[in-house]
Amino acid sequence: MNGPTLEHYLVFSALLFCIGLYGMLTRRNLIAMLMSVELVLNAAALNFVAFHHFLFPGDSGGAVFPIFIIAVAAAEAAVALAIFIALFRHQQHLDVQQSDSLKG
Amino acid sequence: MPFKFFFYLIALFVLYSAYFVVTARNLFRSAMGLLAVLIGIAGMYLLLNAQFLSAVQVVVYIGGIVVLMVFAILLIADVTQKVFEQSPRWRQGLIGAASLLWFSLLAGSMLSYRFGAAAAAVDKSGSIREIGRALLSPAAGGYALPFEVISLLLIAALVGAVTVARADADNGEGKEGKA
Repeated sequence: MNGPTLEHYLVFSALLFCIGLYGMLTRRNLIAMLMSVELVLNAAALNFVAFHHFLFPGDSGGAVFPIFIIAVAAAEAAVALAIFIALFRHQQHLDVQQSDSLKG
Repeated sequence: MPFKFFFYLIALFVLYSAYFVVTARNLFRSAMGLLAVLIGIAGMYLLLNAQFLSAVQVVVYIGGIVVLMVFAILLIADVTQKVFEQSPRWRQGLIGAASLLWFSLLAGSMLSYRFGAAAAAVDKSGSIREIGRALLSPAAGGYALPFEVISLLLIAALVGAVTVARADADNGEGKEGKA
């Protein structure tokens, strides 16, 4: 019973979330931004599992939802990387600051 | 006691790797950092008694998403260019401070809230058997509809990814050839 408590996991995932947020806002390369999004998604999934384990062990929702998160992340990564490759073919870079051809 | 030790070990490993992901200037190294983060999170799932999720994390995230990202990084010739454009320093500092502030707000609210004790149920719903039942049962506690929606989303993403990457290849090369 001396293991880590729920608060340990919550603070850890909050820290991971904030690192991902920092990366999402400071990175200028699209692939690096996508990787930061993965950090944020992982922090959220870990919260689901931690709440499931510590507060609602009888309810399967906390164990099932991370699977959905992982599936959505996989779909998102596939589509996003396809768009990045198409974009890179089109303009030879993936810099978000210079990708402003849709700007009015 | 050993669980706590493992928790801190994995937490330090994951946070260091995550820091590496958001600061490394070489994109490929960033991807390797992401790989380390995902392995660490899979370890966390094991500590939380969610073995199936841990396996799914390793198979789908590490075997699928990270490999896909590495492929994309290698396809995009940028990887030879070592140093990437970064945001200006003042912006990094500002966003770093905002993230820290956000973290302190989150952690403060989490630590001040008193979570109730766990319901006295046996922790078996993390097992494959229970997850499978929950995923496919159309009853009130089941997730049959989200399961079907996810399968639709995945097929749409698959078709969409192929279409976007291919159609643009034809168009883009044609246009660039003429221009």
